[in-house]
Amino acid sequence: MTGTAVNLTRRQFGQAAGALVLAFTLAPRSAVAQAPKLPGSLNNNRMLDAWLRINADGSAIIFTGKVELGQGISTALAQSAAEELDLPLPQVKMVSGDTAQTPDEGHTSGSQSIEYGGTAVRLACAEARSLLVDQAAKRLGVPADALKVSDGVITAPDGRKLGYGELAAELDLDREVTPTATPKPPAQHTIVGRPVPRRDIPAKVTGGAAYVQDIRLPRMVHGRVVRPPRYGARLDNLDKAPIRAMPGVIAVVSDGSFLGVIAEREEQAIKAREALIRAAKWSSGLELPDPARLHEQLMSWPTQSSVVSEKQGGWLRQRRKPSRRPIPDPISRMPRLARPARSPHSRTAG
Amino acid sequence: MTVSLKVNGQPRAVPAEADTPLLYVLRNDLALNGAKFGCGLAQCGACTVLLDGRAVRSCVTEIGSIGEAEITTVEGLGTIDKPHPLQQAFIDEQAAQCGYCINGMIMTAKDLLDRNSHPTAAEVREALAQNLCRCGTHGRIIRAVLRAAQNTRRT
Repeated sequence: MTGTAVNLTRRQFGQAAGALVLAFTLAPRSAVAQAPKLPGSLNNNRMLDAWLRINADGSAIIFTGKVELGQGISTALAQSAAEELDLPLPQVKMVSGDTAQTPDEGHTSGSQSIEYGGTAVRLACAEARSLLVDQAAKRLGVPADALKVSDGVITAPDGRKLGYGELAAELDLDREVTPTATPKPPAQHTIVGRPVPRRDIPAKVTGGAAYVQDIRLPRMVHGRVVRPPRYGARLDNLDKAPIRAMPGVIAVVSDGSFLGVIAEREEQAIKAREALIRAAKWSSGLELPDPARLHEQLMSWPTQSSVVSEKQGGWLRQRRKPSRRPIPDPISRMPRLARPARSPHSRTAG
Repeated sequence: MTVSLKVNGQPRAVPAEADTPLLYVLRNDLALNGAKFGCGLAQCGACTVLLDGRAVRSCVTEIGSIGEAEITTVEGLGTIDKPHPLQQAFIDEQAAQCGYCINGMIMTAKDLLDRNSHPTAAEVREALAQNLCRCGTHGRIIRAVLRAAQNTRRT
């Protein structure tokens, strides 16, 4: 998301979603099944125009299913694209994590965005650049390898020039990626591998829209979920009527042991949730282990083991000989810590 | 009911009960993204705004208790095109990872710098000690506040 708040009506959303069908093509499922494996996220998103577009002004738009979480992925992918396209970095715009426009790359997690998404962007842009050069070669009547590319301008040996923008209209990206175009070797990188300012920071320090929580839809209402007191606990009985009568409450929602409330205003949903917590009766569910005995309990539970790495002799033995220093107890204990995000989970539905 | 507030210099009327925490009014009624809901218990600082210049936790500040006091949010400091020296310093130091705590860091630092324009690193750490960052950006945040103090002194 960029610095503007999202403000779509349901109808506008439908229109935008309708337009996306024209924006890029999805390979037929049967073709995917028979096609050779492509690297990274290209394998499931095989069309070039799913990844990028060259605009009439010579700039590029890159589509990515990987989202900015403050890890800097929007900046890093823009660098990769600018590098392979030979475009100045500011001429690469990113569209990220918009299910109406971007390729489906699954989760953004596990430090895999560069490995999978970055590989796809790099190869797609390398191929697009090579298509642009081929097209320029035809137009200028010179061999492709005689052309030079710099900052989105292709130059012939006699000095004639063609900008990407002039080639954009004829450029056909409605085709599968054929990774014949090779990305630049790292030694030739001038944009990748150098520090550049992160694109997401200015909005984050000025109150721009940067998080799911910043999405506001017209006539939006607010929900809260009531968690069971124990994993697997069952919701026994609940008199919904008094909570349904609270100010602003639109609905008390229960489905099996799922319990939640919807209200016109957020603070009304919060108050209703507090009342629901007091009113709901739960039974059974898993008793959690005593925190004081957690380590013993952990050791007594069934385990599944796998070897991460194995070396001849092992590092413990290798160290013992030269240093003769006592080796610290290889088992260290620390308290069980949750590793949640700083922001609470949030969802918006249109 | 309707409650009148003065936010970033503008009079605003919001359709909320007097016991509504200021945070929800800022975010939902006034569409200001700066203050964030982190814990809702005044423990993390993500929701910090200024009330007559002093940093407060908007998640536990009831709108009925504010009266005539001036509310300033991070949007009231500067814009993306014309950032406040503190915001510029956070950009220059790249002092954000996920960025969720940064509103609180900037607003708490604003309160500090308005009272003490020459803080030491230890004073900055002390002032920001109750603002939690989970990414581990603390070193950059402290450098950003010191940089802002330095830049403001020069101009």
